[in-house]
Amino acid sequence: MDFLRPTTWADALSAKAEHPDAMPIAGGTDLMVGLNFGQPPPPALLDLTAVGELAGWDRDDGTIRIGAGVTYSQIIAELARECPALAVASRTVGSPQIRNRATVAGNLGTASPAGDAHPPLLATGALVEASSVRGTRVIDIDDFFLGVKRNALAPDELIRAVRVPVAAGPQQFAKIGTRNAMVIAVCTVAVALDPVRRSVGTGIGSAAPTPRRAVEAEALAAANLPWSSGGALAEDLARDFGNRVAAAASPIDDVRGTAAYRRHSLAVLARRALQWTWAEMTGGPR
Amino acid sequence: MTATIAQPEVGRARLRKEDARLVTGRTRWTENITLPGMLHLAILRSPYAHARITSVNTAPALDRPNVIAAFSGADVAETQGVLACAWPVTEDMVAPTYTPLAVTEVRHVGEPVAVVVARDRASAVDALEAIEVDYEPLPVVLGLEEALAEGSPLVHSDKGTNKCYTWIFDSAEAGTGGNAVQAEADAEVVIKRRYVQQRLIPSSMEPRSVIVDPSGGEWTMYSATQIPHIVRFLLSATTGTPEHKIRVIAPDVGGGFGGKIGVTPEEWIAFTAANRVGRPVKYTESRAESMVSAHHGRDVIQDITLSARRDGTLTGVSVKLIANMGAYLGVVGPGVPLLGAFMYNAIYKVPAYRFECTGVFTNTTKTDAYRGAGRPEATYAIERAMDELAAELGLDPVEIRRRNWITHEEFPFTTVCGLVYDSGNYEAATEKALSLLGYDDLRAEQAARRASNDPVQLGIGVSTYTEMCGLAPSRILGALRYGAGGWESATIRVLATGKVEVITGTTPHGQGHVTAWSQIVADQLGVPFDDISVLYGDTRVANKGMDTYGSRSLAVGGIALVNACEKVRDKAKVVAAHMLECSADDLEFTDGAFRVRGNPEAAKTLADVALAVFTAHNLPDGIEPQLDSEATFDPSTFSFPHGTHLCATEVDTETGQVKIRRYVCVDDVGKVINPLIVEGQVHGGVAQGIAQALFEDAVYDESGNLITGSFAEYLLPSAADLPTLEADRTETPATTHPLGAKGVGEAGTIAATPAVVNAIVDALRPRGVHDVMMPCTPERVWRAAQDGSGRGSS
Repeated sequence: MDFLRPTTWADALSAKAEHPDAMPIAGGTDLMVGLNFGQPPPPALLDLTAVGELAGWDRDDGTIRIGAGVTYSQIIAELARECPALAVASRTVGSPQIRNRATVAGNLGTASPAGDAHPPLLATGALVEASSVRGTRVIDIDDFFLGVKRNALAPDELIRAVRVPVAAGPQQFAKIGTRNAMVIAVCTVAVALDPVRRSVGTGIGSAAPTPRRAVEAEALAAANLPWSSGGALAEDLARDFGNRVAAAASPIDDVRGTAAYRRHSLAVLARRALQWTWAEMTGGPR
Repeated sequence: MTATIAQPEVGRARLRKEDARLVTGRTRWTENITLPGMLHLAILRSPYAHARITSVNTAPALDRPNVIAAFSGADVAETQGVLACAWPVTEDMVAPTYTPLAVTEVRHVGEPVAVVVARDRASAVDALEAIEVDYEPLPVVLGLEEALAEGSPLVHSDKGTNKCYTWIFDSAEAGTGGNAVQAEADAEVVIKRRYVQQRLIPSSMEPRSVIVDPSGGEWTMYSATQIPHIVRFLLSATTGTPEHKIRVIAPDVGGGFGGKIGVTPEEWIAFTAANRVGRPVKYTESRAESMVSAHHGRDVIQDITLSARRDGTLTGVSVKLIANMGAYLGVVGPGVPLLGAFMYNAIYKVPAYRFECTGVFTNTTKTDAYRGAGRPEATYAIERAMDELAAELGLDPVEIRRRNWITHEEFPFTTVCGLVYDSGNYEAATEKALSLLGYDDLRAEQAARRASNDPVQLGIGVSTYTEMCGLAPSRILGALRYGAGGWESATIRVLATGKVEVITGTTPHGQGHVTAWSQIVADQLGVPFDDISVLYGDTRVANKGMDTYGSRSLAVGGIALVNACEKVRDKAKVVAAHMLECSADDLEFTDGAFRVRGNPEAAKTLADVALAVFTAHNLPDGIEPQLDSEATFDPSTFSFPHGTHLCATEVDTETGQVKIRRYVCVDDVGKVINPLIVEGQVHGGVAQGIAQALFEDAVYDESGNLITGSFAEYLLPSAADLPTLEADRTETPATTHPLGAKGVGEAGTIAATPAVVNAIVDALRPRGVHDVMMPCTPERVWRAAQDGSGRGSS
């Protein structure tokens, strides 16, 4: 197995162009688990930890640009106000040790249906910045996940950054797992309210072959929430919203849970997440 | 000289002497020992749960870099020895031949098939893929009841059955109580329940590791084991190697929980490999190998029947178990249910009792002792069923226990199993626990949440446990057909400078024996805590011992230690009297020195005596110039720790998520040597008990593959999953030996599991729920809450 360790972004893109089958590695929290478990190694590893440009985030006109090397711990410590759903999700990732190494870009690279970062990115309309020696393009998060552990990156592309809009309103993330820490979720839900655009964003995880939005639920809530009055959220609306989120899922039975339970708990989590965010925005009871 | 009056060491919350090296890892583990010329072995394991081996070709592995040797089971069939079961529980027990490497057939996924020995571990592991094995798959049987059914595939076709044994205890037949069948026929209330103890995987920080050095016509085995003495005996007995040529060393061992009481295929394979290459060979398992190859625990179906009067008084208990042995028998595997057999009557006055257990073979990893070994199962079933009886009669769970438990005035109490409980105070421990929890306030909150139909319901779980510890009186072990005794040994060596070396036959692997043993000896001999070393775990140093399991080390080994100290004192007293020119009868041993009665200034410490003995210039006639002593103690009975654990859980009825809000435990482990160690044992034990209730589950797919074969799927509890434990104690000393200690290693694990599940069921009982299968995952709890009478199985 070759081990490539570029020190600049330009070198990293060249290396990826020359070795399209090289597996990028940052925190290694996913890849190394597989290797330790005896999965076949990739032909080459492309270590990105020496590429300094990736390690930070910056703010640009209402958008947070999170470098591919930014860890979950950094997001929790530095971006809880700007990206609340992503920060809440980050707190549920793995253990402190894992959060100190793992990155959102790594989560996107793996594109697991259970990736904890994905629902918040979907709910907030994030953009993925993909680069290659051919140039840089921006992929809408809605177009990024193609299948189980498959994404829209070309073989010569690397994730440079993720662009997340600064939150315009309350956001929430909720998760069910058998254990609190270090567990692959049974299901996850993220909800983001945007009172300016009067829109509702959603993202669900461990609920379909890819993370996905619940578009009908978003439309239902956006159309029926009492945006103008700021009044209480009707119980019926919250329930309908939850049910439509569940309807957007196509879950499977596996060792962590049945499809029926996943669907049910998605409905409960989505209902609660909408209630929590609406209460936060309007100052009403949770 | 004047001795300062020292605070007694026993009872002090001493930090543990051994922790600095254990916590930093800067010590000798088996894995970091490197011997000159040492090679490494890797093991090819079966991917099939059941298959005939039609051919194995190891030759291609020899062409791989750094490979020294490769061999299969057939290559070493005559020399590899067998793995013995030391507990043939019945005369007609079916005990199949268990070879370290499979020769003609594999019977579970992970069974060793072939071996590569190479210069380094990576080369050995890489060369495994060059070995060619042809398998002919055979039918697989995994379920316990399926295995007993007519026409089931057979794990061992030559045995004609999957039944290993049936073992029965009946109090009417034994003359220790009434007839439980009759009691059921006559009962005003009968509670019948089936509980399933899921399969668990004992998981310690350090995986298993072994080195065998065959140099010089002797064999030294380093092994991460709990039982070096038993390994030595069985290696000799099953390979024909003379016992005096075998030395087994358990260096520092990173936890065991029963998972390291085996005599393992890997140890025997390392022995065989070392002999083939004539050089030291090391094997350390990966975690993935550990999960499929090291023994598993529990996996028992329990049918329990309580017979009672309408006032709640128990009139009889009947228990029928089916216990999964796995594909082969572990060293004490068949006996594990028997360790629970005498505990289903628990702390209660049960007039009639019947117990029946059938052991069954399946195409799964073998089972054996796991923290508690039989007693958690027993406590779970009786404590769950007592709650059911309380619910049936409309009584509070604490009240049903009060109406049945042995009161403190009734000790010593002979149970329906014929065991004599020497001491205990269930009332005191329970009162303390109820008060710590604020039981009545929580019951009021529970009522309010029920009344308001709160989606988050509150449940309170009660578990009043006892256990038999201090394994074990050798005569009783003999009567139960166990292959060895239950005594323990201790040696004291007093050095010329007054420092003391203690040699113990126990084999600590995290328990803190070095500290606790030092505290005991410090008081016994008047020697400072820091002047005592404790040696163990090497059969050439500690040549006699029965090792560490079953909460036995202090309650048995500690007594041997006290007895050995007494011998030293007796001899030192004679010398001290000679030095003080008085009669030994005029001396008393107080405040750490031999003092003349009425003239305490005239005194000799043990160090004074030790130097006099070392020089030997002026010893009394007939006194040998050494102050060492040795004692072996065989207990006359078990010890019986007990306690009351209370758990308050919040159950989200919409998602099934369970949150432990409070966990209060009051344990009575008799006299406490070191409260810090006791608390640590309780914390760890409770964590493992909670883990069985909520998280851990070893699951096979229909082909017999372990699908929870990593810590991503086999869920151990993390700190984030556990509540703050509110741990307290009562102290009712054991009356059967001078130390008064009862043992604490397993208490928390035994008590916690039913406390948690009782709390979950209590929260959901108004919805008609009477059980939730373990582990109580959110999905199972939710399902139980939905379908009421169900158990949340899915």
